[in-house]
Amino acid sequence: MEIEKLNALSPLRAFDESLNGGLGKGNLGVLVSRHGIGKTACLVHLATDKLFRNEHIIHVSFSGNVEHVINWYKEVFRQISDGRSLEDATAIYNGILANRVVMNFSQDNIPIDKVLSSLETLIKQGSFNADAVMFDGYKLTMATEEDVKKIKQFAQDLRLEAWFSVSPVRPDVTFDENGVPSSIIKYVDLIDVLIGLKYNEAMDKVIMTLVKQGPVVEPKLMRVTLDPKTMLISE
Amino acid sequence: MSDILKLRNIGISAHIDSGKTTLSERILYYSNRIHTIHEVRGKDGVGATMDSMELERERGITIASAATHVNWKNHPINVIDTPGHVDFTIEVERSLRVLDGAILVLCSVAGVQSQSITVDRQMKRYHVPRIAFVNKCDRTGANPYKVKAQLIEKLDLNAVLMQIPIGLEDKLEGVVDLVKMKALYFDGLSGDIIREEEIPSHLLKEATEKRTEMLDTVSLVSDELMEAMLEESVTEELIHKAVRKGTVALQLVPVFMGSAYKNKGIQPLLDAVVNYLPDPSEVVNTALDLNNNEESVVLKSDDNAPAVVLGFKLEDGQYGQLTYIRVFQGKIKKGDELYNSRNRRKFKVGRLVRMHASSMEDINEAGSGSIAALFGIECASGDTFCHPSLNYSMTSMYVPKPVISLALNPADKKSSDNMAKALNRFTKEDPTFTTYVDSESNQTIIQGMGELHLEVYVERMRREYKAIVQTDQPQVAYRESISQRADFNYTHKKQTGGSGQFARVAGYIEPLKSNEDEKDYEFVNQIKGGVIPTEYIPSCDKGFQTAIQKGTQLGFPIVEVRAVINDGSFHPVDSSDMAFQAAALGAFREVYDKAKPIILEPIMKVAVEGPTEFQGNIFGSINQRRGVIVSSSEDGTNCTVEAEVPLSEMFGYSTVLRSLTQGKAEYTMELAKYNRVPQSIAEQLKAEYLEKKKKEQK
Repeated sequence: MEIEKLNALSPLRAFDESLNGGLGKGNLGVLVSRHGIGKTACLVHLATDKLFRNEHIIHVSFSGNVEHVINWYKEVFRQISDGRSLEDATAIYNGILANRVVMNFSQDNIPIDKVLSSLETLIKQGSFNADAVMFDGYKLTMATEEDVKKIKQFAQDLRLEAWFSVSPVRPDVTFDENGVPSSIIKYVDLIDVLIGLKYNEAMDKVIMTLVKQGPVVEPKLMRVTLDPKTMLISE
Repeated sequence: MSDILKLRNIGISAHIDSGKTTLSERILYYSNRIHTIHEVRGKDGVGATMDSMELERERGITIASAATHVNWKNHPINVIDTPGHVDFTIEVERSLRVLDGAILVLCSVAGVQSQSITVDRQMKRYHVPRIAFVNKCDRTGANPYKVKAQLIEKLDLNAVLMQIPIGLEDKLEGVVDLVKMKALYFDGLSGDIIREEEIPSHLLKEATEKRTEMLDTVSLVSDELMEAMLEESVTEELIHKAVRKGTVALQLVPVFMGSAYKNKGIQPLLDAVVNYLPDPSEVVNTALDLNNNEESVVLKSDDNAPAVVLGFKLEDGQYGQLTYIRVFQGKIKKGDELYNSRNRRKFKVGRLVRMHASSMEDINEAGSGSIAALFGIECASGDTFCHPSLNYSMTSMYVPKPVISLALNPADKKSSDNMAKALNRFTKEDPTFTTYVDSESNQTIIQGMGELHLEVYVERMRREYKAIVQTDQPQVAYRESISQRADFNYTHKKQTGGSGQFARVAGYIEPLKSNEDEKDYEFVNQIKGGVIPTEYIPSCDKGFQTAIQKGTQLGFPIVEVRAVINDGSFHPVDSSDMAFQAAALGAFREVYDKAKPIILEPIMKVAVEGPTEFQGNIFGSINQRRGVIVSSSEDGTNCTVEAEVPLSEMFGYSTVLRSLTQGKAEYTMELAKYNRVPQSIAEQLKAEYLEKKKKEQK
């Protein structure tokens, strides 16, 4: 299959449709759930879809091992390209590598200013015109309102989408029926798109609920789910 | 005859400047091999004993891996000092083949650096059990705990602290042994006297915690220790046994610490080598049986078995050629007859010696597992010698292809002769270093793994062989290839008088895609009905192979190409091997342009490390070099930027980087892959090549 066709058939089109065309530059999107549901895979799938469409991505991780992140991308790419018998897969993979940078911060409790200033350095001095930044594992629930405002400002100034995968840090947090923890509610106003992920045993799928979009807080189920085996978004 | 169970063959591997040579020096000192300690770049002008070559002394780096034999508490240990710079990786890889275990030296301030990652990857490839030594704990900013965490995080090693420091930086006094639960201090001028005392009260709590942590980790690999912990009957012996088991099985990496420069923590490290690293009989080594279809055979560390020996390093010393060997099976004695399985020649073992860094000791025999050196053997590095009843070859080692070349112009006739001698020696010593004479320019070209790699050899020619040579600009080893299929139908004909020549070949060439075995060339014969007689098929193959040796775009080899023949014709009298070779060659040359030829260039994986404040400059410098930033990692004050950059853009990068970062950043690089050169640059390269050719013709 050719890359254009693969993009057209991608379940991510249904994902974008649920968001009325996508998150949009200058906005913050948050994927939230308990630990171990598959947020990282989900985030990497979102990023890979953007890379397939020639967008530039910065993946920000806080784990300390860049290799792990790169392996996630390899694996997600392999699943998609095998599933659709993508033509010229090796060349396409090599091509998208040039449009992705992984930035890793292994310092504990790194201030958000530091993260944003490193991102800006990469974008400006490294001439890397990022279309989106994927924050994987940023402790958004521990951040102050001020921090979140700074991130939003950054996304608007540099005209990029900012996606977060978030799991609560504290163990005593309660989750609502959509998988959204109570600890995130305090900045819900600053978040443009909030998606809750929750495992549904009967369906054996991780269901995705669009909890909030723009000013509208009216949870509705999305057409896409997360396959717990492949960890990919599917229709 | 020493017991094989007591023998240890170890390597010391690390990042450049983490103090590996200093550590080796201390090991020699404490095991009474040398009587005084000389520093690397020392004030006494003697230099460290392991850096035997003059050049290494001057530059403060270790180039060749000298093997040396020491004794520690009645255990013979062979120490192989390995180079830290990535340009000499082949040396590191070759020594890994003959090691049974290794000490991974890390700097307590810089921690796990990019070179440590490369070295660790190599060790994983050769399944080398290792213990870690966190050196330079006397430096400002020393933090062995951080280094241990990085071993786990960055290298995925199950690192476990066996000691904690008593004081750090300028207050480093000694270490607490978490097995014995005693404090160790190193007294005397050179730390010779170990004073064992109770743990200082302010460290007791931490030591107890870390010991529990250590036992928890270690007990996971040993049921015996686990049970003992439940029954509260843990003994020192049980812990040693469990740590040894885990280390040998590559499930644990015990971490030790100290400061080689300040003579602290070396003796416990030597104890750990003996206690935790495997003896030769515990390591499985295999060879290929050349008489049995290269079937893999497991070697026995048994002195009575027929001998199998690997020559892993050549050195041209003052007494002639010295071949470092490791005996993998059986034993060898003076006067024994051995068989070199590469050149199928037999030879007699003459003088057999055991090496100290630059002095030696004559021995009569070398048993299984031992490392020794032979005199006067005609061989190349990596040759296998075995008992005449066997025809084994040790598994071939992975040899990367050269990425850079340099033209040499000797100053006079004498230099030219000496240069030839030197090159003959170097190419035998180092398989990644190759040389040839360019048929067009008549220049001698050397090829290798990087700028520094070649520079060092040019320097050695001057110093050791008195060959004065001028060098041109280093040249990137480009490759040529094709991007689409093109058909040919070519007749080679010379039938005017006398015996003629006639051959016609038809078929096509096409790119060899999704190249899994990394084959450079494939020949496919689709001839039906004998339109080309079978005896001339190999001639066609040969003709194509001649053609791809040198492409017409830049004069570099053509790779990733498949040549298919499916038609042709012959003449009963005038066709010959030569005629078909000429036809295939002509066909390829004619069709090459139609196949849209492209140029490939080596892309290096570059890792730059430096203070975070210079991150922007580092990004910028990569961006200016057609580089692609792969990742950037920050851990507070330091950052590591990984990128893929064309080799041609990397010349002189060290100077640029130094000035951009006030000398605070450094970089390493290795070959990542070959990529297509962008069109504009390809045009420029072709124009330069034409220019050069024209000049030569004049």
